[in-house]
Amino acid sequence: MPFLPFVPLWREVMERTHQYALSGYLIALADDELILGHRDSEWTGHAPILEEDIAFANLALDEIGHAKLWYELAADLLGEDKTIYPDKLVYFRDAAQFRNIQLAELPKGDWAFSTLRQYLFDAFEALRLEALSQSSYTPLAEIATRIRTEELYHLRHSQAWVLRLVLGTEESGRRMQAALDALWPYARALAAPLPGEADLHAAGIVPSSAALFEHWSSEAIAFLQSANLSIPSSFIPHPSSLVDSRRVHSEYFPALIQDLQAVARLDPEAQW
Amino acid sequence: MDTQWPRYMVFQQEGPDQPMVHNGTVHAPDAELAMLNARDVFVRRPEAVQLWVVLADVIFTQTQEELEKAEPVDQSTSQLVDYYVFGKFTQQAQCRHIGQVQASSPQVAVAAAIATFADKQPLWWWVFPASTVLKNESSESDPMFSAARYKTFKDQAEYPVITMMRELRAKANHKDTENTK
Repeated sequence: MPFLPFVPLWREVMERTHQYALSGYLIALADDELILGHRDSEWTGHAPILEEDIAFANLALDEIGHAKLWYELAADLLGEDKTIYPDKLVYFRDAAQFRNIQLAELPKGDWAFSTLRQYLFDAFEALRLEALSQSSYTPLAEIATRIRTEELYHLRHSQAWVLRLVLGTEESGRRMQAALDALWPYARALAAPLPGEADLHAAGIVPSSAALFEHWSSEAIAFLQSANLSIPSSFIPHPSSLVDSRRVHSEYFPALIQDLQAVARLDPEAQW
Repeated sequence: MDTQWPRYMVFQQEGPDQPMVHNGTVHAPDAELAMLNARDVFVRRPEAVQLWVVLADVIFTQTQEELEKAEPVDQSTSQLVDYYVFGKFTQQAQCRHIGQVQASSPQVAVAAAIATFADKQPLWWWVFPASTVLKNESSESDPMFSAARYKTFKDQAEYPVITMMRELRAKANHKDTENTK
């Protein structure tokens, strides 16, 4: 890796405004992973078959692991202690301070819903991570490359299940269509810029979410149609309200955060 | 109606110099999902470099005892296909890869294996046509297997729950004794 000697310099070279913006961007990215991972973990002990119970526990661990990597990089950029900062962000922020998209936080629903959500996310993540692995900020590019390897497996897994559930029985097909109808409007928020994205994109550090979304939606629509699903016509919210979409959470979110943080908040000083 | 999915046998190679060994079974509606299930169930850790899944029903097996009672097989040489040969050498050992033979039927494959691998005497022979195996694509081996390499995990022994509980109980008992004095 010929560029390694330059890594320590980057923090000096990167403009302070970019450091700050990138930390906010990464925290939002990490929040998506954390919250999706939390929802995935809710299948532990409840999945329809043992093998998928294990698979979803693996997915949850992977997503939460990815969140940790991004939180740690954000800590580096902010000059925070990266052994402590991720826990502070996860356990001691209020629900309103999280920047994940609503698509990640919706209750796990039935197996069709969770599987389809996972597919929509995995397909988007594969594109975003591919772009991030080309980032001009080397530490970011390296982590993206590593995460992408795992996400490619996730995508293979979720695509395999989407196809089989849609083409399986009448009931599984009906449930998949219902899941798509419910999820599709929320997927529109994948196009929303992450915090700080405009400046970071101009500096070649991160991709444009809107451009990724164009690419993603043509891929996802082709795949879903190949599986015989009909694509809902409406995308809600309307693009004009997207900018703030990561600041607004669904009615289900406070309970999720309560569940996630309850034990840590019982005794904030406890050593685990 | 039997709603149970068929069983697939999972074979795994843990390192480039290791043989393929039978690691367990998964249920799956088809071979591709059996492969994904095998990955999630068996190769999250320890590490693997290759994974095979085979429908359990296509594996023909014969123990030493069954071989002694078996009728002589028709040694027809028509329509030869490749068979993988596996063997279990002790009760505890996993069934491991021995080699490959060509045969016209599973019974003939076992007979051919006994002749070809005369120095091997497993307690139990397993043979199956090579064409029935789904192997992971080597181009996908990184997404399939990298998790085991990068994920750190705590060994169960690192959670000192049993000792900790013993100490807590001892402390509680001690307190009770103090209180009743």
